[in-house]
Amino acid sequence: MALEDYRGDMDMCCRCSACKFIPMQKVKGFQFANVCPSISRYNFHAYSGGGRLNIAASMLKNGFKYTDKLLDIVYNCQMCGACGVSCNYAMDMEVLEPISEFRIKCVSDGKTSPTLDKVIKNLRKTGTMMTDAKGKRGAWASGLKLKNAAKEKVDVLFHVGCLTSYNKDYWKLAKSAAKILQKAGVNFGILGDAETCCGGRAYQMGYKDDFLNQAKKTMALIKKTGVKTLVTSCADGYQAFKVLYDRFNLKGNLEVLHITEYIARLIENGKLKPNKKVNLNATYHDPCRLGRLGEPWIHWKGKKIPGDRFVFDPPKIYRRGTNGVYEPPRDVLKSIPGVKLTEMTRIKEYSWCCGAGGGVNESNPEFAMWTAQERIDEAVSTGAEAIVSACPWCEKTFNDAIRESSSSLKVYDIVELVEKAL
Amino acid sequence: MITKEKLVKIVGTNALSYKPAALDAYSSDISFNNTVRPVCVVKPKNAADIQKIVNLANKTKTPLVPVSSGPPHFRGDTVPSTGGAVIVDLSKMKKIINVDRARRVAMVEPGVTFNELIPAAKKEGIRLNMPLLPRKTKTVVGSLLEREPVVMPKYQWDISDPLACAEVIFGSGDEFRTGQAAGPGSVKEQWTVGGVQKAPYGPGVASWHRIIQGAQGTMGIVTWASMRCELLPSLEEPFVVGSSNLDTLMEMASWLIRLRMVNECFILNNTALAAIFTKKWPKDYRNLKDTLPAWVLFYCVAGYEYFPEERVNSYIKDITSITQRLGVEAVKAAGGVSANEILKTVQQPSAEPYWKLRYKGACQDVLFLTINDKLAGQIDVMNEVVEKADYPVSDVGIYIQPIVQGTGCHCEFNLFYDPANSSEANRVRELSNSAVKALIANGAFFSRPYGESAGTILNKDAATIAVLTKLKKMFDPNNIMNPGKVCF
Amino acid sequence: MALKKDVYKAFEDVVGPENICDDPAIMPAYHSAELAAVILPKDTAEVQAIVKLCNKFKLPFRPVCTGWTGMFPKGTLYLDLRRMNRIIEINEKNMYAVVEPYVISAQLQAELMKRGLNFCIKGAGTNCSALLRGHGHMDQTTSGDDRNHLAIEWVTPQGDIVRSGSLGSSDEWFCGDGPGPSIRSILTSAVPPGVTPGVFTKAAVKLYHWPGPSSFPVVGQSPKYTLSEIPANLMARYYSFPSVEKMWQAEIALGEAEICYELMGFNAAMVACNITTCNEEEEVVFEKMNKEVQGPGFFVIIAGNSADDFAYKKKVLGHIIKEAGGKSLKTVEDPEVEGILLCQCIRISASIRETFRAGGAFNSIPIMGQRDLTIKWAIGAGKAKEPLIKKGYIVDDGGAFFGWGVEQGHLGKTEIFCKFDPQNTKAKEAVETWQKEQTARAFKERYFASTMGPQDEIGPALSNYHLWWQKLVKELDPNGVTPEGGALV
Repeated sequence: MALEDYRGDMDMCCRCSACKFIPMQKVKGFQFANVCPSISRYNFHAYSGGGRLNIAASMLKNGFKYTDKLLDIVYNCQMCGACGVSCNYAMDMEVLEPISEFRIKCVSDGKTSPTLDKVIKNLRKTGTMMTDAKGKRGAWASGLKLKNAAKEKVDVLFHVGCLTSYNKDYWKLAKSAAKILQKAGVNFGILGDAETCCGGRAYQMGYKDDFLNQAKKTMALIKKTGVKTLVTSCADGYQAFKVLYDRFNLKGNLEVLHITEYIARLIENGKLKPNKKVNLNATYHDPCRLGRLGEPWIHWKGKKIPGDRFVFDPPKIYRRGTNGVYEPPRDVLKSIPGVKLTEMTRIKEYSWCCGAGGGVNESNPEFAMWTAQERIDEAVSTGAEAIVSACPWCEKTFNDAIRESSSSLKVYDIVELVEKAL
Repeated sequence: MITKEKLVKIVGTNALSYKPAALDAYSSDISFNNTVRPVCVVKPKNAADIQKIVNLANKTKTPLVPVSSGPPHFRGDTVPSTGGAVIVDLSKMKKIINVDRARRVAMVEPGVTFNELIPAAKKEGIRLNMPLLPRKTKTVVGSLLEREPVVMPKYQWDISDPLACAEVIFGSGDEFRTGQAAGPGSVKEQWTVGGVQKAPYGPGVASWHRIIQGAQGTMGIVTWASMRCELLPSLEEPFVVGSSNLDTLMEMASWLIRLRMVNECFILNNTALAAIFTKKWPKDYRNLKDTLPAWVLFYCVAGYEYFPEERVNSYIKDITSITQRLGVEAVKAAGGVSANEILKTVQQPSAEPYWKLRYKGACQDVLFLTINDKLAGQIDVMNEVVEKADYPVSDVGIYIQPIVQGTGCHCEFNLFYDPANSSEANRVRELSNSAVKALIANGAFFSRPYGESAGTILNKDAATIAVLTKLKKMFDPNNIMNPGKVCF
Repeated sequence: MALKKDVYKAFEDVVGPENICDDPAIMPAYHSAELAAVILPKDTAEVQAIVKLCNKFKLPFRPVCTGWTGMFPKGTLYLDLRRMNRIIEINEKNMYAVVEPYVISAQLQAELMKRGLNFCIKGAGTNCSALLRGHGHMDQTTSGDDRNHLAIEWVTPQGDIVRSGSLGSSDEWFCGDGPGPSIRSILTSAVPPGVTPGVFTKAAVKLYHWPGPSSFPVVGQSPKYTLSEIPANLMARYYSFPSVEKMWQAEIALGEAEICYELMGFNAAMVACNITTCNEEEEVVFEKMNKEVQGPGFFVIIAGNSADDFAYKKKVLGHIIKEAGGKSLKTVEDPEVEGILLCQCIRISASIRETFRAGGAFNSIPIMGQRDLTIKWAIGAGKAKEPLIKKGYIVDDGGAFFGWGVEQGHLGKTEIFCKFDPQNTKAKEAVETWQKEQTARAFKERYFASTMGPQDEIGPALSNYHLWWQKLVKELDPNGVTPEGGALV
């Protein structure tokens, strides 16, 4: 789909401002009503979901005039999809798709962020998003004697992800996940040094061709292993494999699960028994790409029915964030004795983004920090001593923000707590 | 000055007087305003007359002072502030134009008194939201234009209520109809299609009726006004709650109003209550004052068409949980004054003589708006000022009226005095001026600035006055309408 | 239409470089207007400084809140009030709250409900400003129009700060009128024509008792939010009647009985919009509901202050409905649907699903005033929709109109709209023609005069109010820096 295909959707925007806030019936008070980090930070309507649609629609009509400000607007967006969820409570129209297509168009017109260009250049060269990657990708697994999925037959491929693999501070997440799978007796393997980036972040950044190239490469590797199930502990990876690969007809029959979904399944089947007490007063942060953006892709092709309504033949079913992965992580947390879960205001399909996505972590770390700090404040307001999530990007961003603000809030990934409880 | 011939041509000789004896009645009032004699008094009978008078006044720069109520006046707003004034006395305009049960609205000319409108409304099954015991000669339109507080705060959604629409001849000579009355079509044409003159906002985005209320006749002359009315209850159960603790009664009143359980609702101190209900003066006054609690909250629970007893009973039950929580009791009589008697009394104008005059013959009111939390402090301040002036604190009548569905309250101090006793009168005059100053310093909001204190009040808000001055310039470019009043 | 460098710098000095922008890239997000710039003041002092500069440079400006719609002359400086979003005070005893312009209604309402309070949510939705004049679905209890404002802080077109009523005299927010005549007469309006010039920087709004829960027990995932249970002493129902006359009979009786928390004259189409999660579902449900209803009707919410009060209100409701031959819609008796509607009508104020979802645009004729009179007109306006429906220009809603009671039926609101695809020029023209014709008919037949009609025709018929208003604007704005247009909502 190109931007042109979303002309009708963009024209549907009535500038009601719902995209700036969480769904109205979920607003609990003065605080924590905002849902879009971009407009919350920059305040001009242009930075809101609706504002972006207005701009894209206008440019489509009147020609594309690129200015520094326009690019500032385009790239200061985590592509978190919250605007679409709020909008689609009431409206039948695409929101994130045209925003994404507009960014893709900017990239294809050569209107890029130099920082993101560097990231993509590195991806092309090394197969990872991490520009500061050192050493071998599979080094975290040293000593764990994990199966190599490229060489041995396994049922499940555990895809670790770029951040966890290359950032020593987060090796613990991969190790915890591996230990959990071992404990449950899962026949799983990893790709180790051969593992490459899912490419998801490249798509978010607007580099569609690079995403497709990378995705094809990665998928080829996965196919070679012959696995039927892929489990990942990164939300970005989850959304890439589950949604984007399916969207671009690369996924085939591969079953894609997030580690939390898999653990929930293992607990239900009695394969895992979290029995040890883990005393923790915690709140759970829904990663955007596990939650609202992680809902399955819907393959649809159709035409607008001429007439007074914006309806299609066949009827279009919109992805409104309804079917994201919300309960499995919570079920897992609830099954750990001693963990007291207190919800924040902005959760599930209207969760506040951690700040890292969409290339913002790379191109504007200050904005990413600001976004994360908002979340930290919200977590602290619940009285929780820790914020728990299910994505290393969220956790890293939170940790960075906590360091800067000297907050005493702790950050955990779910797998860490599960491991503690086994 | 408008010539006599021209005035005769408009109203005829019988409706015009230059006689000193007649003019005396308009030259002063019970307030401490200076005595200023008008040149004449003219009594027009319709809007066309009024418009002609206003046009002539513009040509000749003659000040006009509109009056609708009969004497005695209390605020000084109907006494000319300058020489050469013509009193435009609207008391002859006594038409009750329309009383509409279905749309709960009544429409009257300016000379109609409460005594005249109440039975006409009652006939249709509706009633007015009244001020507390207006005098017999008080006109309904006069009361509405003064923004007098009304005794049923539940039905006062906005401070301009119960005024709905009005027809006014502005000082410029232009005729203007406010709200729904503006059109399209004349009032009669609107009636033909089933319209009434009820919605107060407009025409356009402005709410023009708000500019003539509180204006003391400085913007124009109203030739008729409509007002929203309420249904006559089919069942009424009045109650009183006595206490020495005003805060408790205020708390109770605010919940009664917040939950919309009561119609009439106000607080009087023992002095004011005694002044109203004493039958034999002066003996019974003292006795009654002594037996009454310091403060009495009065309210009435009512039922209408559907299952009135059930409604009343359910409200009484819910009110009981409030009284129990506050440690007070709702009863049927306090100090010998029955709630039923209070209800009957306040649903009519004051019996003669006007209740404020019964004790000593005259009364100076100090009245302002405030919020619940500030009220007790302001009463203390008033008591200090009163004591300092050697006026017995126990002689001050106090009327507290929650307004606009409980968003504020009207507080009124009645300073009774003997007008024949000049030293007492002077003492009260000074006391009242000092009181205004002291109360302002304690956050009292004098929304209706009258008499000598008007300047003190208005000087606090120069920015608003600047805007009002612009409006005045528009509506009365030659400043012929009651010059010297408000800030004009 | 970029500002000159030194002029831009002057404004930048007031708000900082991050809070002003004249880049053409942002203009499509601002109604595609050719604005001089968009500026984001953070408080009254900055607003005042900006306005004074506008007077100095003779630069026209308009303030806007969420800014649903807007028309702005070329070269307008757009004051986006987003940064002015504080709740200043909630006074429970004296039943008012003070807000800055960009507090959205959802925020204020959520804070109020925790305290057993509520306020007038405008029909534009709880995603819009809490400060503005307006009317909404709960007007039966929470009044509407300019009757909910108390004191207002206003920066005049010349840059003076005027604080109305008790605010100016004694620094209190509870009263917006006086001393003397009230300037609240002119401090009004949110939507053109006739937006009060200058900027409202804060206002006190009246509050009302809320007998419901401190928050609704909302469950589910978007777009299907329901209530896990109907809160105590709350009930929602939809009643249809055999005729408009019977509907009115019931509506006014309910107002006089003072028992409805909300009386919303939805038609079946609007109910269908509110309870469905997409256009297709809406069509199906509307068809079903159309068969269920016997004629025009309304939606009510009953809220008891106590169990006894609730029982009484329900009893009276049942009686009045029966007397008027009303029929309860089974669909709404389903607790899931009842819960959805309770939430929609109180916490969201419906709106977007009812208006924009179908085609992306709607043109409406709203009138505040005398309900029974405007219903008469609306019937004709509804019939005039039928040819447009037949031609497929507008969404088929049965030609319905809607409205609601205000202040227990003392006043009322009637509205009728056409939903259409704005890209369909024929449809757009047809709708605009319908709007013009029906507005003109209302004027000719003396039902009302919509101020959206041609001012030079309507004004003279309504005491020349337009000339008075023009005079006033000229007085207040001698430098001509507050052009008509813009929308605050």
